[in-house]
Amino acid sequence: MITCDEFFAEFGDYLESQISPEVRQELEQHLSQCRACHVLYDSTLKTLKIVTDSSSFELPASVTDRIIDRVMAKLRKGQS
Amino acid sequence: MAFLREVRLDDQFGPFVAYRANYGFVPNFFRAQALLPRLIEAQAALEGVILMEGKAFSRIQKQKIHLVIAAALQDTYWVTARIATLQSLGVSRFQVSQLLENLHQAGLSTAEVALLDFCLKLSLDWQTVGLEDIEKLRSHQFDDFAILEAVLTCALARFFSVLSAGLRPEPDFEPYKLSAGRSAPATKVPDRRSFAHGPHQHGRKDPYIRTVYLSPKTFAPFAGVLKTHGFIPNVYRAQSLRPDVLEAASSSVRAILITADVLSRIQKECIFVAVSAAILNSYCVAAHCNLLRGFGLSPEEGDQIAFDHHQSNLSKADKSLLDFALKLAVRPSEVCREDIDGLRALSFTDEQILECVALTALSNYVNMLQIGLGAEPDFELPRGYEQNKVHLPEAEARHTKEGLGVLPSAMAAEDPDAGLVARAQAGELGAFEELIRRHSSSVYRALMAILGNPEESQDAMQDALLSAFKHIGGFQGRAKFSTWLISIARNTALQRLRDRKDTESLDEGVEGEEEFRPRQIRAWQDDPEQIHSKSETKKLVEKSILGLPSKYRIVVMLRDIEQLSTEEVARQLGLTVPALKARLLRGRLMLRESLAPHFTTAAGKAAI
Repeated sequence: MITCDEFFAEFGDYLESQISPEVRQELEQHLSQCRACHVLYDSTLKTLKIVTDSSSFELPASVTDRIIDRVMAKLRKGQS
Repeated sequence: MAFLREVRLDDQFGPFVAYRANYGFVPNFFRAQALLPRLIEAQAALEGVILMEGKAFSRIQKQKIHLVIAAALQDTYWVTARIATLQSLGVSRFQVSQLLENLHQAGLSTAEVALLDFCLKLSLDWQTVGLEDIEKLRSHQFDDFAILEAVLTCALARFFSVLSAGLRPEPDFEPYKLSAGRSAPATKVPDRRSFAHGPHQHGRKDPYIRTVYLSPKTFAPFAGVLKTHGFIPNVYRAQSLRPDVLEAASSSVRAILITADVLSRIQKECIFVAVSAAILNSYCVAAHCNLLRGFGLSPEEGDQIAFDHHQSNLSKADKSLLDFALKLAVRPSEVCREDIDGLRALSFTDEQILECVALTALSNYVNMLQIGLGAEPDFELPRGYEQNKVHLPEAEARHTKEGLGVLPSAMAAEDPDAGLVARAQAGELGAFEELIRRHSSSVYRALMAILGNPEESQDAMQDALLSAFKHIGGFQGRAKFSTWLISIARNTALQRLRDRKDTESLDEGVEGEEEFRPRQIRAWQDDPEQIHSKSETKKLVEKSILGLPSKYRIVVMLRDIEQLSTEEVARQLGLTVPALKARLLRGRLMLRESLAPHFTTAAGKAAI
């Protein structure tokens, strides 16, 4: 079986699903037997899901409106 | 006074010690580059192997080649310097001035005249150099070693002349006045658009001269080349008779092109592509467009930079940098202090300008070698060339279609914004407003990713949207409108970073990502998103992301919030894909570390 270091070396590509089936099999076998790596993998995956679903950095509609209005006012002024 | 700021280097700086020992002084040419000592080391090494080592020609012969090229390029610095060196080697002032006035009547042997004629042709009129010129040299009993050494000597002369034109060091001696009747260099200002018809096909397999096999396993410079290109390009193979030069050249490439602590690697590759295109060398355009693709740039964008960078998505500042590089490459004698001040006004530092000059010089060197040695094309040409069609810059293309708003039909079919874009391009403000409303969230996130500060991002958003309106006429539907708009936002933000000199967050650097190991090993709850309310979770995520060091924040936001592909993120930031991946993993793990206290099995409703 591969070591934790070897697992960690492939971890980034594994998260990105950029990995060959053979390596994937090795990694998954390691995950099934190593609690520490399993926790690392599981929590990182959850982190990514939380981040992706969080709709972070959405601008409040009022702020968006203000900016767009200002831009359009400038453009109209430039055109007239 | 030279153009750029000078600093004093340590008395023990290797190349300076050597110059003091050999000449009794340090040439101003090198002092003018003291801001970046690595450039001086690279050039000193290359000068050493080409002018001092080679056995085919004497030092005097090579100094003569440099003298006539410098004179033809109206390079007072090098004319003065070479005259001094020739005199120190025992050549009389009379012989030197004969050489400068009319080399055909300077009492030289026919072989020597043929050699100098070849060198001048290669330096000034390279487009016309072909196999017949090499055959002519052979007919004068020059062998392959000699031909290679002649080409290397010419390439180095151009390398040095571009640098002196861009830096304008004071001559080290009383400057030699070139005779007034001398005309400006015969170099034509080439039209890049005619370049698709340039001499790309020679119908040969091998370079003009003999090559030997150098194994990348035992010859370190080729190992580096292999790593960069995936194979050994012909332009390197063509120099295999001189492994010593290849070694020095590979150090120069490392020092000037690959080290990216001043200009980014993408900026550098863009300079390389544009300069190669300007001197009509499709080989080097193909090679470096290829590298740009490796950094995630689309073939179309590389293409656009080669044909007409003004129509590319580069920032205004980067376009001006390329303008400067092109002027330096094709009209070196016209470069003046105002050009330098113009770049400074765009917030370029003297280090960056120096690097741009060195890079323009290096690309001249490589281009001259490829042309002089007849290295066959072995890179895939950008798409425009394959179809052998000439790209008109977009502005002109539009005129030919009589009026604005004509979109390629391919776009109309795929991009949901196509209709609005056409109307906005025709000047309809309402359509433009609708477009920016549709994409305002993505624009804001793109700005936040890079700037990390809400107020500044809102401010930049206004600039980005105005800039989008200004440039929408140039949008040609090769990418989706949303992609184009967001890339404008990103360029706006990156420019702000550069303006406030915060390039640390973008630089590649060696950062020991591999040493980072996660510390939190407590398991997380099964359904972590249920622990906190949606708005609490959002706050937590935003706080954690903004708490990351900026270089990690940028990659995490572009990849995980904006959901760009890794290649796209690498391209945007000028990182290689492996470097980006390493940074992304580290950023994600840091984020995990910072969120963990709130989501592990032990976490209750922890205070935020």
